[in-house]
Parts: sequence; C-alpha cells; structure tokens
Amino acid sequence: MANDVVVMQESEIRSNFRVLDTRWRSAETFAILPSNLPVTEEWLDDALHHLPQEFYTKHFLLLTSGSTGQPKLVVANRERAELLAEVIHRLQDGEATRETICCLPLSYSYSFVNQWLWSRILERRLILTDGFMRPGELKVALDAACDAMICMVGAQVPLLRSFFGDRTFPGIIRLHFAGGRFPQEQLDPLRQIFPNAKIFNNYGCAEAMPRLTIRRAEDADVAANIGRPVSGVELKTGEEDQLLFRSPFRAVGFIENSGFRAIADDEWVETGDLGRAADNGMWTLLGRKSEVFKRFGEKISLPAIEAVVQRVWHGELALYRETDSMGENGHIMVVAPHPEKRQLKAIMMELRRDFSRPHWPLRVESLERLPRLPNDKVDALALKERKDVIVHWSQRY
Amino acid sequence: MKSNREKLRDLLLEVLLLSDEEFSFDLNREQVETWDSLAVVAIAAGVDETFGYHFTPDEAVGITAVHDIIKVLEREGISFADA
Repeated sequence: MANDVVVMQESEIRSNFRVLDTRWRSAETFAILPSNLPVTEEWLDDALHHLPQEFYTKHFLLLTSGSTGQPKLVVANRERAELLAEVIHRLQDGEATRETICCLPLSYSYSFVNQWLWSRILERRLILTDGFMRPGELKVALDAACDAMICMVGAQVPLLRSFFGDRTFPGIIRLHFAGGRFPQEQLDPLRQIFPNAKIFNNYGCAEAMPRLTIRRAEDADVAANIGRPVSGVELKTGEEDQLLFRSPFRAVGFIENSGFRAIADDEWVETGDLGRAADNGMWTLLGRKSEVFKRFGEKISLPAIEAVVQRVWHGELALYRETDSMGENGHIMVVAPHPEKRQLKAIMMELRRDFSRPHWPLRVESLERLPRLPNDKVDALALKERKDVIVHWSQRY
Repeated sequence: MKSNREKLRDLLLEVLLLSDEEFSFDLNREQVETWDSLAVVAIAAGVDETFGYHFTPDEAVGITAVHDIIKVLEREGISFADA
C-alpha cells in the first residue's frame, strides 16, 4: 500500500478473482500489476507517491512496460472504462455472446477492459485460463465454450496453430485481436479453428485505455488497416506521420520515472505509431514509431517486412533493431522454431522479391521458442540477450 | 570437402539470394538485380572469410562479374581449376 492505493498482483486476482469485483465496487483507487513485476518495489512505491490526490478514488492503475521496457503506470477513470466496454460491446456485435475466455493476463488493459470489465457490466461469465502457459487447460475451456468471446494478441497465433491447429472450437463466436499486428494472413487457419467466430481487429494503446479503432476482419485485406475510430474517438497525424488521438475514454494521465503527467481533455496524445488516413474513414498503420527508420537513405518499415515474411513463414517471428558495423540502422530477424533449409530459402526469396538489400535483415537467426512477456507478446529485451540463437544468414558487414 | 568453385558458388548464392537455377559462373552485375554496391561489400567480406583474401578497394570496385572474383583469387594463388 502507498498513498491509500491498493496494489494487487495478477497472481492474487487469479487465486480469487472476486477480489477484483470487490475493489471495483469500493471507491478506493487500486493498481493491478503483472505477476512478474518488471519494476522494483522502490520504483513502484515512488511512482504511487506521485499520484495526485484527486485520483485516490474512482480510478485504477495498470502497469505497462511492453516490449519497450519503459515502465509506466497508466491512471484510468472507471466510469470512462465502463462506457468504453459498452461501446466495444455494441461495435463488436457482442449481444449474442454469453461468456468470455481469458487467455491473457488481466493486468493487461486489453483483457481488463474488453473481457473482465465487459463481463462485469454485461453480466457475462468470465473464464480465466493461464493461456498458452497451460495449453491443456486452455483447450478444456475452448472445448467447453458456449457462445463465447475470446481476446488474443496476434503473437499468440503461431502458438494457437501449433497446439490446436488440427482442432475446431465451434463454441467461440467472437474472436478479437489487439496489442500488435493483426494476423490478416492467418485468417483461413483461424476460421478453421474457430468456424463460427466473427473476427475483429482492435487497435489502441494503454493511454487510450485502451481502444481507439475497430474493424471486422473482412472489411480490409491488409493487416495494417485498423478500421474506423470508435464513436467519440478522433485520430489525426502529426509530424512525420505520427498517429495522435483524442478520446473521451482515455486515461487521465500516467506516472513515469519523471513523475505524474496529466493528459488534458483537448490534448492530442501520441499512440506511438505512425499512421495514415485510408479510404472510407478507415486508418492504416505504417508501423511503430520505433519500427520505421532510414537505412542507407531508404525508409525501412519492420511491419511491412514482417507482412512479407509471414506469407511464407507461419512460425513465430520477431524483428528488432540493431546498428550495423557501418553505423547504419538495421534489424535482426528471429524465427522460431528452427527453420528447415527450404523454409529459410523461401523467406529470403520472398524478401528479395519485394525489397532491395537495405530492407533485408542484418542477420536471420532462430530459436526453438521466442521469449514471451506475460501477455504473450515477444519479449524484445530478453530476445536481444539470448546467446543460444542459430545464425542462418547474415549481411556479412 | 568442397572445391573452391563450390565455395564461391555457395557464397554468391547466399549473398545475392539466388536460386540454384539462376546461378552460373558467367554471371555479371548487370544480370543480377541484387548485385548492388552493398552486395560488393558482402562479397568482399565473404571472400575474406572463405578464402582468406581481403580485396583491395580497387579490386572490390573492379569486380563486375563472377569471373573477376576468380581472376583476383587465382592471381593470389587460389586455384579454381578444381571443378
């Protein structure tokens, strides 16, 4: 406890998730943290002391660090989150759903709002699982599903296919993706696994708490298309295609190393992505701000490279940035599991077909499995530290 | 044990991302889209690693065909008559 903010860890909620309901009903602000705390107790204590007194009640805090590794406590307003859960429900035609199966941590804003809060407000059943940490348990839940909704991140699709690629789960009628690239290229196998599911691409960020846009999978044919803004949400692009938003549902502020930073009502907030308005009110992502860079004068987009590779590689895939021996920006590609020679050749040929050499990775490496964060996104920091990679191809400079 | 011709062929397939069918020892830069200036740097690094010879800047600039690589390496006593 610090400043009267109740701190709960994921493990505590999972052992008795009714505690969350109790906390939501009481006025006191609370914080939910992942089980494996990515910050020190001192950092957390210090951060909570920065919370302004006006937010001691009727708010909640979620810790986000993601793959950037920069911890941030996002301060959210409960009433706004409840409103957003209802809006999402309408936009995703959620009335027919009777339950939701969680395969992501509840400390993640996506599953917290789209699933826990949604189930509470709409009075639907919530089924907690440990996701792909315990695939057997997840399979039992999926087999037993009855008019169920499930929320996943695109990074889970290779795991889903590897564990359940030969199965079908007809009880899932809504399948939502967020928190990373939408698996547009994998829609056919996803439809085989979930034959009765309507599939949606959700886009947002923790500061949006969390939703900004939604689209049906069928409404576009490229992963980068994030659809139209949710009612009340405004998007625009700033300098160098930076995607900015204003939203009535957004967080009220966040606490970083430097202290609390309020988000003003009229403020355009950075999503951290680059984007562009597309046709019919839809928007297209150009990549994370950190995923688009110049190499030998050419604009390199890691999501664009990822999309090309995923045409021929259906295993795990991660790209991260590294500087080459000439001091130029570049990237490393890591696939998992270890590819066969013909698979590697197919990846390289696909790269050659669509891109010139500056876009090719500095190295193509493999691991048996990619390191993951609790929300199943690839742990980029851990990935860079791994010494047991096999190098299959390199630019040689 | 691979011959020097096989080693060079493997290196160029890898650096230029060519398929087996696309490769021939008669290839030149004009015929290979991926043989750009960065490929020259990669080929030079690969030759150094594979054959232990480091191209001089003039030699690197003068390489416009597979035969040019072989010519330089043969001048350094690395034989390609083993195929």
